[in-house]
Order: sequence, then structure tokens, then C-alpha cells
Amino acid sequence: MAGCCCGDDRETNLIYACSGAANTGLLADQVMRALSRDKVGDGSCLAAMGADLSGFLQSARSATRTIVLDGCTVSCGAKIFERNKIAFQHYVMTDFDVEKGKTAITGDLIEAVAERIAGKVTA
Amino acid sequence: MKVQILGSGCAKCKLLEEHARQAVADLGLPAAIEKITDTEAIMEMGVMMTPALAIDGVVKSVGKVLTKDQVAAYLKGGE
Repeated sequence: MAGCCCGDDRETNLIYACSGAANTGLLADQVMRALSRDKVGDGSCLAAMGADLSGFLQSARSATRTIVLDGCTVSCGAKIFERNKIAFQHYVMTDFDVEKGKTAITGDLIEAVAERIAGKVTA
Repeated sequence: MKVQILGSGCAKCKLLEEHARQAVADLGLPAAIEKITDTEAIMEMGVMMTPALAIDGVVKSVGKVLTKDQVAAYLKGGE
């Protein structure tokens, strides 16, 4: 859980990742885990958002920032947030020199993309 | 009707519960108020920040201490 609102004004960033079948979905998922590990935000569930589960929707509405990591330009994650009229930061893995269906997803690539996104989240 | 207060039991969670009890009483609703303090159960409902309010299993508010009037509006079917 991201936290209790008691007595603090701490920011709550929630991160949602594509976990589609392609290599780009794998990268989005792994980058979300790296960002969560590095305390950039807390990972939440994009599938639950797509399923209109109320707790997930209300959590997204109450977050300081929501960060959507889509694998490719189909941008399923962005479409879910747009449909629900929830503001979000959007990052697409293919914008980071990654080619859908081709680029190997390595640990170094995951860390490099996560670092670039982390620098933009609060910029 | 089932009203659920989700939270660890901290001061703001207790305040939300108090407001919910007042709203239920004012409206004269036959509602059962349930406190959920188990983190796993809270997470399963998708709630990432507490306190939160759910009515009949639908989460209406997350991370806010709603006023009595705000709770009443939800109890009357508002979104």
C-alpha cells in the first residue's frame, strides 16, 4: 500500500505498466518494478483499471501523480486513463530506442530506461 | 447496505468512521458499518491510500477524510 494520509503531505505516485505479450510489454513491466524499487512510485495494476475496479480507479484519482508505462504506440494504458478522465504522465517503451518484437530486454536496458523515466517524473 | 471503512485504525481513519456513523444515523439507514484494518484485505480492494470508504463493496473515496455530508451524499447514491 502506498500509505496512510495521516499527518503527512507526502506525495503518492502510482505506476501502471503494460504487460502485453511483446518484448515491449515485458520492458514496461520490468521498468515499473525498477521504479518501485527506487521509490519513484508504487506499482499498481493496469488490468484492474481496465476492468473498472472501483478501488483501483479511486486510488488513481487520489494519487499525486499517475505514471503510465505503455509498451508500444497502441497505448492501451493511456486509453484506459483517458476513458476514465484521469490525468497521467505517459511513457512509451518504443520511444527509448526499443523496437517492438526485436530488441532484447536486458537488465542494463531496464535500468537505463528506468533511470531516464525517473528523471522526468518529478521534473 | 454495507458501509466499509478501510484503514489501519489511525486518527483519520477513526474520524472517517465517526463521520460515516453520523451520516448513517442522520439518514436513518439500516446500514452495517464494518472496519477493515487488514492490509492484505485493503490491497485486494485496490485501495492504495487510506482512509477509504466503500459502500456495498464499491470504493467511493480513497485517501481522504470525508465530511459527514460527503459520506451522506455517497449513501444517497451520489458519485
